[in-house]
Amino acid sequence: MLKEVVFAGFGGQGVLTAGLILSQVALFSGKKATWMPEYGAAMRGGTANCTVKYSDGRIFSPGQEAPDAIMALNIPSFNRFIKILKPGGIMLIDSDIVTCDTNVRDDVKVVGVPATTIVNELNNPRGLNIVMLGALVKLMGDYSEQEAIDGMNDMFSKKGKNAFEAANTEAFKRGYASV
Amino acid sequence: MGDMVKGNIAMAEAAIRAGMHMYAGYPITPSSEIMEYMSWRAQEAGRQYIQAESELGAMYMVYGAASVGSRVLTASSGLGISLKQEGVSYMQAADYPCVMISVCRYGDGLGSLQSGQTDYLRETRGGGNGDYRNIVLSPSSVQEAVDLVYLAFDLSEKYRNIVVILTEGALGQMMEDCEYPDYKEVPFYDWAFDGKHTNPQPSQMTMDLYERAQRRNALRAEITENEQRWEAVGVEDAEYVFFAYGIPGRIALGIVDDARKRGEKLGVVRAISLWPFPQKAFDAINKDVKGFVTIETADDGQMVEDVALFAKKKGFGDVPCYTITSPPGVPKTVDVLKKFEAIKAGEVKEVF
Amino acid sequence: MAVVKKVPEKIARQVPFCPGCGHGIVVRLIMECVEELGYNDNVIFGKPVGCASLLDNSLDIDIFTGAHGRNGASLTAIKRLKPDTLVISYQGDGDAYNIGFAETMNAAYRNEKFTVVTINNTNFGMTGGQMAWTTMPGQKTTTSVNGRDVELSGLPIKMPEMIATSFDTAYVARGALFTPAEINKTKGYIKKALQAQSDGIGHSMVEVLSPCPTNWHMSPLEAQERIIKELVPYYPLGELKNKGGK
Repeated sequence: MLKEVVFAGFGGQGVLTAGLILSQVALFSGKKATWMPEYGAAMRGGTANCTVKYSDGRIFSPGQEAPDAIMALNIPSFNRFIKILKPGGIMLIDSDIVTCDTNVRDDVKVVGVPATTIVNELNNPRGLNIVMLGALVKLMGDYSEQEAIDGMNDMFSKKGKNAFEAANTEAFKRGYASV
Repeated sequence: MGDMVKGNIAMAEAAIRAGMHMYAGYPITPSSEIMEYMSWRAQEAGRQYIQAESELGAMYMVYGAASVGSRVLTASSGLGISLKQEGVSYMQAADYPCVMISVCRYGDGLGSLQSGQTDYLRETRGGGNGDYRNIVLSPSSVQEAVDLVYLAFDLSEKYRNIVVILTEGALGQMMEDCEYPDYKEVPFYDWAFDGKHTNPQPSQMTMDLYERAQRRNALRAEITENEQRWEAVGVEDAEYVFFAYGIPGRIALGIVDDARKRGEKLGVVRAISLWPFPQKAFDAINKDVKGFVTIETADDGQMVEDVALFAKKKGFGDVPCYTITSPPGVPKTVDVLKKFEAIKAGEVKEVF
Repeated sequence: MAVVKKVPEKIARQVPFCPGCGHGIVVRLIMECVEELGYNDNVIFGKPVGCASLLDNSLDIDIFTGAHGRNGASLTAIKRLKPDTLVISYQGDGDAYNIGFAETMNAAYRNEKFTVVTINNTNFGMTGGQMAWTTMPGQKTTTSVNGRDVELSGLPIKMPEMIATSFDTAYVARGALFTPAEINKTKGYIKKALQAQSDGIGHSMVEVLSPCPTNWHMSPLEAQERIIKELVPYYPLGELKNKGGK
């Protein structure tokens, strides 16, 4: 079963990393995965997005087609990507940031998580993407909470960034519990 | 399990593993990560790395480096590869091996930063002055990119011919799981300059160029026979056969996979070697095929010329050849299908 | 007792240049220095495109076929991969200063540890005497038939001075060939330049003011007279930079 997820937001919000974590979780769970950034126009401080696909079998196109889910961390990303979301798909937004009218399609599910509020409570502002990822993993239902946390921590550990393991795990769990 | 690795970085690491001795380059989107990675990794692995003043300078650095028998790599994109072409021709004239990674960006001149396949003809026809061909290999996944870069050094040495890895911005930038091959320890080639005049190299000023041409022609025939690479699915009973390479090659495979599940008889030849073109792939194709269709991220289509040439050679001279082109970036399957429906409906004129 | 000067061992055959040309003398000087410094069996010579590309069959050493102007880049790599080998770029002024301006300057800029010897004969010799960046004001060539107009084409280039004053290199000098004394001085410069390379100090360069009787339409003697009267006042002879040994 092939799944496609788009991660979009401002550069610096960690959307590319959130996508990478999900793809690495997929590998960790024995699936295949691809991660494709929109690199042409993406600049620091501007909008950035990537498309992640995962599947039990061979992944043909790694490109953006019709996402099953979208994580949008700003209003421009919501407005741009809501149009290509697959009918029945999930639009996950940080409800603290995406404050526009989100009731624009009745064939998709829009889920808001107050991720900015959560990371402020956690005193971990850089954990926004991971809170959102926790929520996304639960909504997708393809990986258990522990499987995803293990895959995430494995990735950071290989990059020599174990120092944030506890904070990342906590952020992920808060996100997972929020939906 | 491998880890997610960016195509550009995976190719750079594969070159290190293949025993590359020297990298010279000049950064350009979307190939820069190869150079950025090499800037520290080459030194860590005890290899030479030079940031050149220009792509031209970089090509002449690898030309010099090859003359003393080292395994050399350069990489660039679009117009950067254009700048190198004088040196590519020089290296071919000297029979020096070299691996050059061309991470294609779309368009003429400065072009777009986005992914494209608009440099097929330049790479497969040689690009510089003279009458030579580069061996051109094109991966469609990060793992295949690693495997082909690793292979490229050996092929380049075996045939004393440049090997171009022609890939696209999208593949250079995307991440996928891959496993790296083992490290190879390769000494400098023994036919090269050693400072002792052990191997005098003939000068073009004095050599018999026609004799050399005969020798190179024989070698070209040998490469054509030995080095065709492709992946084919469903061609034996196909009504239409797609020809594509790189990311569009994957997309074509996906379209065929999906179609055959529905019972629609489509086939695909995903070319891996672009020169030599995988003409042997025609041998398995249904003799009653209705059309050949290339899928290319380009303005006008370029591989379609080769498909038509070899279709004619292989007895499919009456089969129409179409092309489906896409704007910069990764083609969307749905858009490709829409254009294919128009071809089937007779609404699109064949290219050849 | 008579002193017998033997031809350096690695000059195997006659050099193929025009009568009165300076190339043959400079090649001889280089090869004498190579031999005296003990590098006969550890030297790579980068030849350019231009008259000097005819050198191939004369020398029994490794001769790298440089592309037009690109030896600065190619020899950078050769020296980095073979740091113990003496690497010499032999170039005409058209090759090194016109078409190869970028590569020549960038190699010096990076202080690549090889030696450049350039032949300044104020024209493109091989292609039949066209204007070079070194062509003197008013000098007639096949592309400046009324004499070089510096208003349109700039003043003659002084690459050694540019390198000596701009970059952190080891050695720069300019010599000439119009008397035995000048030839000996020029040999001294070349030897010091090669010694600087051998000692690993840095990039070294020697420019030689060299006659081109064929394209100047002069006799060999007239050509040397022209160098004394016209070129030396503009292109001063001597060491421009000597960082000294380690």
